[in-house]
Amino acid sequence: MPSLRRFWTGLWSLVVGLKVTGGHLLRRRVTIYYPHETPDVSKWGGPIELVTFPETGTHDCIACNACVRVCPSDCITVEGKRPEGSKKMRATVFVLDFSTCSLCGLCVDVCPTDTLRYSTRYDEATYTRDATVNDLLGPFGEDPSFRGTPQ
Amino acid sequence: MLGGLRTWLAGFLGDYLATVLLGAVLIMTFLAFNVLFLVWLERKVSGHIQRRVGPMEVGPHGTLQTVADMVKLLGKQLLTPVATDRVVYLLAPLLVFLPTLCVASLIPLAGTEAFADQPYGLLVVVALSGLTVLSIFMAGWASNNKFAVLGGMRSVAQVIAYEIPILLSALAVVLVAQTTNLRHLVEAQHNTVWYVVLQPVAAVLYLIGITAETNRAPFDIPEAESELVGGFHTEYSGMRFAMFFFAEYTNMLVLGALGATLFFGGWLGPWLPGPVWLLLKAYAIIFVMMWMRWTYPRLRFDQLMTFAWKLLIPVALLNLIVTAVLVHGLG
Repeated sequence: MPSLRRFWTGLWSLVVGLKVTGGHLLRRRVTIYYPHETPDVSKWGGPIELVTFPETGTHDCIACNACVRVCPSDCITVEGKRPEGSKKMRATVFVLDFSTCSLCGLCVDVCPTDTLRYSTRYDEATYTRDATVNDLLGPFGEDPSFRGTPQ
Repeated sequence: MLGGLRTWLAGFLGDYLATVLLGAVLIMTFLAFNVLFLVWLERKVSGHIQRRVGPMEVGPHGTLQTVADMVKLLGKQLLTPVATDRVVYLLAPLLVFLPTLCVASLIPLAGTEAFADQPYGLLVVVALSGLTVLSIFMAGWASNNKFAVLGGMRSVAQVIAYEIPILLSALAVVLVAQTTNLRHLVEAQHNTVWYVVLQPVAAVLYLIGITAETNRAPFDIPEAESELVGGFHTEYSGMRFAMFFFAEYTNMLVLGALGATLFFGGWLGPWLPGPVWLLLKAYAIIFVMMWMRWTYPRLRFDQLMTFAWKLLIPVALLNLIVTAVLVHGLG
């Protein structure tokens, strides 16, 4: 009676289907209820930012321009000058045009002082193209007379 | 309060008209709220089966989402295509709801309370619920649209096929209970056991049948989006479309309540009042229908027909014959 066997296996498969969906009904949801819950972004590589080192309390960009040279999209602008009484250069301008950045990470790899890293920012959508231009030195709030004006 | 309202209405309408009017308004109001609840429930169930959250924004856990949707539909423009059969086109969404409303008044809510207590209640219910498909075909035909006509024709073929197993499974219950009065059916279950125990095959057949009769997945080929755009309601917009939606969910509740009456002891149950038990059982049946919707893929049309004529109807007939022999043999 092959047709009767087929009938029973078919019927059983329907029960199995209900069991699968019923099991999922009772299990925890997998979607994140976005604006009210934020996902774990600790491993996310967002637009680059300057590291604040705890020893000095500030970044360590020496305006060597290595990141500018290595950048395939030409989206980083760095300028610097030597503070009085110091041997090292220090950045006065560090601007990232995020609209052309491909997040390739070459700048992070090449940075000799390890002061560049990926941030964990993920909500970078903006209404204007100008708003995608990030002033990376902004959060450090150094003496404005020392810093130049971003181009 | 209802009694007072009824005497006040009877003052200038007459006793009979006042009862009818009050009953109709009560049922309509309840059914409207029921549809809002069921649509919300459907979205929640589908969401959680797919491990999502479903509507959450409007009201606590999205409970007012359907109210917002209704307001949106009320505000939409009503389009009438030029080539329609105007009278039929406008009549269809109004008539689609009528048989369901009549059936709703026949379901016994508790002991002595039904809006209409009929000695042949079950037959009237089955006869009336077959009429819904006429309005669906009217909608499809009058729209003058190939998808709508196809949807309407599919619906007719499907409902004719699936009404037979429903009827045969109900008939098996009638053989056991020896009555077609829905109230007596429940009382008979009070004296013995729920008929789902005596008639498990009929109960399963009934569940499959009503899923097809309400045009729900996996039997929703009259409105199969991937083949027929919207099916019979392709050309309907705004509240006219909502009326079809309304009728579908109301039909679900009414057939669910009928299933509860036939197989799960209707209003019987401890502690809670009868109508609450009836509703709970009906919602449980509807939940299973929703569960099935998010489990099985849609059947192809020939598979659908094969399933009805080659499997369901023979099984239902066999069940009926066995029941008849057993009832006769056991006296």
